Amino acid sequence: MSGILEVRGLTKRFGGLAAVDNVSFSVREGGISGLIGPNGAGKTTIFNLITGVYKVTEGSVLFAGSEITDMEPFRIADRGITRTFQNIRLFKNLSVYENVLTACHMSAKYSIPEALFRLPRFVREEKALRAKAEDLLAIMGLTERRDVQANNLPYGLQRRLEIVRALALDPKLLLLDEPAAGMNPDETEQLMHLIAGIRERFKLTVLVIEHHMDLVMRLCESIVVLNFGQKLAEGTADEIRGDPRVVEAYLGSGGN
Amino acid sequence: MDNYTLGILMLAGINLVAVLGLSLLTGFTGLFSFGHAGFMAIGAYVGAFLTVSPARDIPGLGLPLVVGILGGGAAAGLVSWLVGRITLNLKGDYFCIATLGFGEATRLVFNNVQRFGGSRGWPLGATRDMGDIWIILAVDVVAILLVANLVRSRHGRNMIAIREEELASQVTGIDVFRYKMVSLVISAVLAGAAGVLLGNYLTFINPKIFNLTKSTELIIIVIFGGLGSISGSVLGALLLTALPEVLRFFEIWRLVFYGAAVILIMISRPQGLLGGMELTPSGIRKILAERRARLALRTEAAREASEGGAR
Amino acid sequence: MIQFLQQLTNGLSIGSVYALMAVGYSLVYSIMNFSNFAHGGVIMLGAYFGFFGLTAFHLPFAAAFLLATVGTALVAIIVERVAYKPLRDRKAPFLYFIISAMGASMFLENFVIATIGPNPKPYPPIIPREPIAIGQLALGRLDLIMFLVSAGCLALLVLFIERTRLGKAIQASAYNMKASALMGINTDSVVILVFALGGFLAGVAGVFYGMKYMVYPTIGNITLKSFIAAVFGGLGSLPGAVLGSVLLGVIETLVSGYLSSQYRDLIAFVILIGVLIVRPSGIMGKTIEDKA
Repeated sequence: MSGILEVRGLTKRFGGLAAVDNVSFSVREGGISGLIGPNGAGKTTIFNLITGVYKVTEGSVLFAGSEITDMEPFRIADRGITRTFQNIRLFKNLSVYENVLTACHMSAKYSIPEALFRLPRFVREEKALRAKAEDLLAIMGLTERRDVQANNLPYGLQRRLEIVRALALDPKLLLLDEPAAGMNPDETEQLMHLIAGIRERFKLTVLVIEHHMDLVMRLCESIVVLNFGQKLAEGTADEIRGDPRVVEAYLGSGGN
Repeated sequence: MDNYTLGILMLAGINLVAVLGLSLLTGFTGLFSFGHAGFMAIGAYVGAFLTVSPARDIPGLGLPLVVGILGGGAAAGLVSWLVGRITLNLKGDYFCIATLGFGEATRLVFNNVQRFGGSRGWPLGATRDMGDIWIILAVDVVAILLVANLVRSRHGRNMIAIREEELASQVTGIDVFRYKMVSLVISAVLAGAAGVLLGNYLTFINPKIFNLTKSTELIIIVIFGGLGSISGSVLGALLLTALPEVLRFFEIWRLVFYGAAVILIMISRPQGLLGGMELTPSGIRKILAERRARLALRTEAAREASEGGAR
Repeated sequence: MIQFLQQLTNGLSIGSVYALMAVGYSLVYSIMNFSNFAHGGVIMLGAYFGFFGLTAFHLPFAAAFLLATVGTALVAIIVERVAYKPLRDRKAPFLYFIISAMGASMFLENFVIATIGPNPKPYPPIIPREPIAIGQLALGRLDLIMFLVSAGCLALLVLFIERTRLGKAIQASAYNMKASALMGINTDSVVILVFALGGFLAGVAGVFYGMKYMVYPTIGNITLKSFIAAVFGGLGSLPGAVLGSVLLGVIETLVSGYLSSQYRDLIAFVILIGVLIVRPSGIMGKTIEDKA
């Protein structure tokens, strides 16, 4: 069965070390899938390979049927895959509004000369951009904070802002890299609802890297488990929970 | 207004053109160029070639100044495109070293081109026309408008994003290479135009004018005025062009203080005078809005904390 | 043929001085991942310290040499503490470091211009002028000494980095600062040590440069060549810096000898352009990918 995202035989070597080793999986369109594994298992590396930040050593990535392996990151974003980062990478000195407005850039098509001379197309499209940014902020509950500088936001809101920024590009596939990192149970719960809500409202597919097992088990319909760069298991939450290899990878042999 | 003050204003106006370009490149896009005097030099020599009267010792084509400004700017822009092709794909350090090399290499090349006077220089015309202040002001206005319009558009915002977080910019769909290149070329065109104007003002050009010190002086104005601020660049250009004239006796220590001041600014107030802010109605509104929002955040956090304690 | 060998030896000797400069710069680059553009100012001070040691204090050569190199090591440390450490503590962006380095460079250079004056001064003749004759080759004594001392310093540096504990700490920090700190290495001390070493080498280079040519405040501009040499050999690689420098020195001298001295300074830029177009990572460099 082919999904909106197909990863085939993906391998990434740094010098002699294989950070990702012959990993294959597929992500169902419209679903929320999880990518889990102990630290260093290669999860973020896979995100980097999918989004073109790293070049693959071997293997391929297919999105909506076409090959996107090794494409430039900005072209991949244009195709419809956007992401957040493990270490938040917001435009720190810009306001919340400016962060989102900047990310909306692809919704306009005006050229540089049109901007320089303030031609009608610029005026029209710029207005639409600003409206879209305000809209997004309203939907995601950040309107009140729109003028705060991104690095002055509380941690939880920074993570939310990064998600909003990723949404501004109208993606079809959203990659979230540890969105719940550093959150307490309350915030994690809120995040879960947020992600589910986003999937509904924006009709997109989500792939989440997470360590909060709670969130993963309850949110994700399909889970891929990595260990030492290789795929260990793939299946539903129940299947994964009961898989002895997964338990061993996380807890070591003899644990439960 | 006496000629002396007018002269300072003209020089400040000329500097401003180059500074605006550099501000776009360094202040808004985050690329550090050590060799912008090299682009000024290219502009100056091409401009001189286009405008100097054919009757002079080292002749030119005798075309109007406007042609010189456009031609000089275009030539500088073209060369910058070549430089960019080679260096913009690489890490930041390479760009710095390459621009440093470019600035020095340009100076050396012009030193050796005897056709244009070599190291002795090129006398361009008989007298300085103080009426040229209007041309300089016109170029200033055009440059300010262009840069301001660019910055307040999605293209300018993309450049700012590159400065803030290059990796995040890429995955946000921004063609980083293309925008760096646009920024570089525009900054070079402006520097080239400034070079033409400088030659026209001095009525004389030689390679020594466009040395490393000139490049660093431009950068210092951008930093002092504030990275990412057009009004800052205007203020900086005015103040730092007028200052050395005012403190003439200070001349040999001027650069010593500039050096120390740069370090001090970087470690204590890296935003310089107006970094990230603009002295315009919308700019001030933005600052006030940010302050208001930050305050609201703080009071809310304090309230939550005290409620949490009471619970 | 003799012509060629003669030029070759000249090239090797200036190349060895470039190597000292380039290694000092590369050392800092490999640890801090930024280009210390103030390096040139330190080299220039080395030349002046040595000069004053010999002329004003009438020290014997070895003592003046020591004064110069220890002096520059100290200056390098001071520059690091004043201009870079505050930025490191605040995790300032890369751009700020470059700007601060530029400020430091400007300060040092113009301080000397303002106090001592811009005129070049010749070193007192310590080394006798007559060259040593080996067959039909005339080896300048100074050139020979420059080459031998430079090679010796670099060999000692290599031994230090490979064999001592501190050296290993430097290697570890160059590889990964944060991890090293977690392993209990005092990375702040490592930074100071690296700047001191770089400063020391800069001092040696400065004294030799002053002896071979002259002492003037803008000696720092020569570091552009050592940056180019470091890029040529591979940014961040110490052996690369040496290789690039020696090659640059030789190529430069050959071009100057066979074509024209006017092209000598330009050849460095031609090499730079060539490297950036063909193989930006240099002869021995490695390409590093950004960790997301």
